[in-house]
Amino acid sequence: MLAYFIRRLLFLLPMLLIISFLIYLGLDLTPGDAVSYMVSPDIMANITASELNAIRESLGLNDPFFARYLKWLGGVLQGEFGYSLTSGVPIKDVVLDRLPATLELSIFALFLSTILGTVFGSISALKRNSGTDNVLSVIGMMGVSIPEFIFGLVSIVLFALHLGWFPVGGRLLPGYETFWDRLPHLILPATVLSLIMTAGVMRYTRSSMLDSMNREFIKTARSKGLPEWRVNFIHGFRNALTPVIVLIGFRLPMLIGGTVVIEQVFQWPGLGDLFVLSVRGSNYPTIMMISFFSVTTVLIASFLIDVLTAWLDPRVKLD
Amino acid sequence: MKQSTKTRFDKKLDKIRDREEEKLSNRIQNRSLNKFLNNKLAVFGFVFVIIVMLAAIFAPFLTEYNPTRPDLRNLLKPPSLDHLLGTDQVGRDVFSRIIYGGRISIIVGLGSALGAAVIGVTLGAYAGYRGGWLDSVVLRVSEIMVAFPQIILVMMLVTIAGQSLMNLIVIFTLTGWASLYRITRAQMLSLREEEYVQALKAFGLSDFNIAFKHILPNFLGPIMVNITLNTAMFILAEAGLSFLGLGVPLQIATWGNILSIAIDLRFLENYWWVWVPAAVMISMFVLSINFLGDGLRDSTDTSLQG
Amino acid sequence: MSQNSETILSVNNLKTYFYTNNRCNKAVNGISFEAKKRKTLCVIGESGCGKSVTASSIMQLLPKLARIEEGEITYHGKNGVVRIDQLERNCQEMRDLRGADIAMIFQDPMTALNPVYSIGFQIGENLKRHTDLSNKEVKQKTIDLLREMGIPLPEQRVNDYPHQFSGGMRQRALIAMAMACNPKVLIADEPTTALDVTIQAQIFELMEKLKLEHDTAIILITHDMGVVTELADEVIVMYMGNIVESGTIEDILRKPSHPYTKALISSTPILGRGKDQIIAPIRGSTPDPYDRPEGCQFMPRCDYADEQCKTMPEITTISKTHNVRCWNSIKVKQNG
Repeated sequence: MLAYFIRRLLFLLPMLLIISFLIYLGLDLTPGDAVSYMVSPDIMANITASELNAIRESLGLNDPFFARYLKWLGGVLQGEFGYSLTSGVPIKDVVLDRLPATLELSIFALFLSTILGTVFGSISALKRNSGTDNVLSVIGMMGVSIPEFIFGLVSIVLFALHLGWFPVGGRLLPGYETFWDRLPHLILPATVLSLIMTAGVMRYTRSSMLDSMNREFIKTARSKGLPEWRVNFIHGFRNALTPVIVLIGFRLPMLIGGTVVIEQVFQWPGLGDLFVLSVRGSNYPTIMMISFFSVTTVLIASFLIDVLTAWLDPRVKLD
Repeated sequence: MKQSTKTRFDKKLDKIRDREEEKLSNRIQNRSLNKFLNNKLAVFGFVFVIIVMLAAIFAPFLTEYNPTRPDLRNLLKPPSLDHLLGTDQVGRDVFSRIIYGGRISIIVGLGSALGAAVIGVTLGAYAGYRGGWLDSVVLRVSEIMVAFPQIILVMMLVTIAGQSLMNLIVIFTLTGWASLYRITRAQMLSLREEEYVQALKAFGLSDFNIAFKHILPNFLGPIMVNITLNTAMFILAEAGLSFLGLGVPLQIATWGNILSIAIDLRFLENYWWVWVPAAVMISMFVLSINFLGDGLRDSTDTSLQG
Repeated sequence: MSQNSETILSVNNLKTYFYTNNRCNKAVNGISFEAKKRKTLCVIGESGCGKSVTASSIMQLLPKLARIEEGEITYHGKNGVVRIDQLERNCQEMRDLRGADIAMIFQDPMTALNPVYSIGFQIGENLKRHTDLSNKEVKQKTIDLLREMGIPLPEQRVNDYPHQFSGGMRQRALIAMAMACNPKVLIADEPTTALDVTIQAQIFELMEKLKLEHDTAIILITHDMGVVTELADEVIVMYMGNIVESGTIEDILRKPSHPYTKALISSTPILGRGKDQIIAPIRGSTPDPYDRPEGCQFMPRCDYADEQCKTMPEITTISKTHNVRCWNSIKVKQNG
């Protein structure tokens, strides 16, 4: 098990390096002078041309590509992300500022959708072709076919505008800080996102569960006279679980990227919203740094899930 | 103890048995085709997709209005005999925008899916068959790409390359080949060791020949299913991006572009005809593709479940 | 059918139909036989003849799209007579029988075992379900069972997973699981098809031993005539859902009375006869189950076929133990 852990770690690190390289390459290729985002705007405002050149020298901006890359990487590892082109605020600050908002939504949605999706998917599979299965399947179908933003917009019209149960958007009103104040704002976007994700997980789990229940060892389990619940849960579901957990790994990119549209619809001030703003404003440094940040988060989370999966599968555990 | 009354399921089986007795066999012998046709949702999906695609192709015959020309005298008119679905905020006929918009949305969706398929399947088949360093490299590349959240990767590339219809299709293709690559590669790896492959190699056939002419045809089923589902995915992705204003340029009508107006709550509430038809259209079309894809998957399934 | 006190399971005119793809396949179309204590009944036939379906029918383990149409399956247990065909598939009574009174071992031990649970766990499940033993006792009994089946170091292996066992060991573990509660009937569905021939011999030796020690009735399903020759006390020969011939091993080997039985015997190479022995394959192939011939199913491939074979032959009783379904059985027997 330890060997597996180390192997996966040794695999993760080069990936991160390659990606950092690609990100820097992209950064380098985009138009704009590197100085403008590497130096604080306060300094930039009162600078002369010769001072600018001196700074350029000291930052190594006239050095060959590879040297610049390494310098940049060093900076990043120390938390120096540069400055936003549009607002002049250090990128690191603005990313960290908005991160909690996004994570609130995405972690909640990932978690809830995994649980609901697995449960309903399994029920659907066990009651194959029954009324329950058909209803759940249709709901699942609709969930993966209707665009996210439509879902979001319709729910705003219905629950916020007409029924008035929830506020129309935003994360919190100024002056209100506690979690309970925030809750009404959180419910609608979180629910919409969760339901959409649940649909996908449900369909996948159903398929996985059907496969599992089709295997020979289910017959063996029944031949021992075990009650149906045990056959379904201990034998069937347990085996259907492994692919579903693998699926969680594939869904991890949604931690950061999955909320982009929802944040727009609900005016939710998260990383996704920032990203869209940056794209609209051609704010390349911010764009690249957010991309880098999101990929890194995904890879690390992926790594953790891989290790968890391995722990659950005895074939890997003991090798 | 067994119930003496028969359940509905039992009666269904009885009917099948009696039909068999009277030798009323199905005219269609092909099992896959038969299974597909029995799946009502899949047939519905197939028919709906064909209808919409035909409407998109024959757009000029279905509407006389130009989808891009504003008509400032007829702003935001509700549906009438003149304008079947009313007019939008600059006076364009909504119905024609939907139909012409369908063209673009379908081209983006289907085009990207096919492009991604060509790249993914080719790489998966050849690299998967050959193995070695080529395979490792492509695998690493695909893993890196999959690590990026798709929207973020796409938007990043749109920023770098600029917004245009062609760019979008290329970007979608570039970000979408990984899934088919993995599937094809997995299948290739398992079939590569089969005995008939050894035999073909002994006959001196080239790797290219073996991989593409002999092994690949064995799993066209899952590939077709994947292409269908990818089309659905790309249509939704285009809609999302266009909704954000970052997809197809706003002058060109697409279902997503039409919907982008809905972010303004006034339009959302008061002028439903501007956005609802597009919303329904996308949802129904993607739903149909999903039914179709599911039907394809079930009919090429070899287990004894139905 | 005569029922003496030794009969533990009797099947009478069993018909099981399959309903996949909206078609009806009469996989088993009226078979009758008895399994007796301390005797091995071999069911032999080609793939698709319905032998596995028979086993599944007895255990009520048929897939959803199949059902027992007609017939009786009767188990003569110590608590009285049970009509298995009358029971709901997964009702309490049936589940009490499975594992404890009637047990089954399957063809491929690798797929038959759940890969994520240890062997000990899976055998223990059977014991916990049907006995009142404590956890500690269950563990001990499991270890004893593994030892009895000839698995070395059972105290360690009980915690191992299926993929850590070799093929032969896995099958022994499966047998241990099936025999855990001393069932009266053991159904073995081609238990050695997935194993090497040398392991095959060991497994059969094991089964013989268990039969004699525990008074079990064994129903052994196989397609290998050689196996039948070695192990059978009684034999039923199946073809396309019917029993074409049944009798003791002596009857079948010395006086085969059905063209199919004869053909099966001739198509099996016999060790010792040398390389010049004549092995005659059976001409033709099994018909499509959805497109069956009229009357006797074997007719298209039969050397003795004539006009009357267009109707299904009645059962001809040759002796007290020996029955056959063939219009021309006398001719067949003479030529044997």
